[in-house]
Amino acid sequence: MTCRKLRKLMPLLAGDDLGPRRTRAVRAHVSACPACLRELEELREALSRFKAAAKDESVPDWSEGEWKALMVRAAGGTARDGEKKRAWGGHVLLPRWAAASALGALIGLVVLSVLFRGPGPGPAERPDPPLALADAGRAQDVVSMTMVSQETGLQIVWFFDKNFDYKGEQE
Amino acid sequence: MNETEQELITMVLSGRAEAFEPLVTPYRGPILALAYRLTRDREDAREVAQEAFLKAFRSLGRFDLSRSFRNWLFQIAANEARDRLRRAKRERAAFEAAAREGIAAAPAPEAGRERRETRSGIMRALDALGRREREVFVLRDLQELDIRETARVLGCSSISVRVNLSSARRKIREAIRRDFPHLEEGR
Ligand SMILES: [Zn+2]
Repeated sequence: MTCRKLRKLMPLLAGDDLGPRRTRAVRAHVSACPACLRELEELREALSRFKAAAKDESVPDWSEGEWKALMVRAAGGTARDGEKKRAWGGHVLLPRWAAASALGALIGLVVLSVLFRGPGPGPAERPDPPLALADAGRAQDVVSMTMVSQETGLQIVWFFDKNFDYKGEQE
Repeated sequence: MNETEQELITMVLSGRAEAFEPLVTPYRGPILALAYRLTRDREDAREVAQEAFLKAFRSLGRFDLSRSFRNWLFQIAANEARDRLRRAKRERAAFEAAAREGIAAAPAPEAGRERRETRSGIMRALDALGRREREVFVLRDLQELDIRETARVLGCSSISVRVNLSSARRKIREAIRRDFPHLEEGR
């Protein structure tokens, strides 16, 4: 391993966040390279001092009254019967994101049903073979699902490959 | 997930709402601190943390008992903070667009943030990070979750956590060199 490559990995090495295989390779280099060792020690030291300073810094805290009021607000009214009561009880049904998820799932199903129908004129005339989806290079290789937050109007698109493995997201 | 937490959750779900307070009290400080590090604003942090606890109560029935309760709360708070920051960003953009067209004369939303609070050095260093970098750095380095937990809380891959953590630590290192030479002393 070169010094240049090691420096790239150094921020992760400094927090012991490299995998075991890379850690071994990196340690071997560091033990034989005083310049990299010094750089690593300096980085570790700086990060640990930064963390300590962050811990010492005062962060906001709840006043007792504020905390109690929050707990009363959380537990009050809708609390007793948990989810069921709220689901049938009136104006607040489910959290808004749950509705958005349901909507997203619905859109997803529609997208899937469209994609999985394949290019043929219809199942009665030319049913797709069951393994058609696994064909490489076909349009169905990527499935996307769009979620829209009703509260903020923001959208997020999730991508899945043909095996329904999560491939990423786009905001 | 310890046994007491499990019992308290069961109690809340069976209708004993008073069990919610002992369930979340150990996390009242950590959640507020997390919200503060992510929003970098005391008022926003308070609102984010409040909303997170309210959501936690409402969604407790969907909590997976095999998970860490603390990390589940972190996840709710991190999502809440992200939503809030996005909203603020959209509002700012709308304001700027309006200002360009000469419609608005009032001060921009959030424009007072810098004046309202004396920014600590820690916060200024966190300001220098991108959103994902900050989330990853705060969870991994300040809240001391491991990589896998961080990824789960943020709903991203471990690779994404490592990439962002690496660049975040690099930027923090630069900020220390620039703004806190005293943190480099004493070796
Ligand atoms: Zn070297």
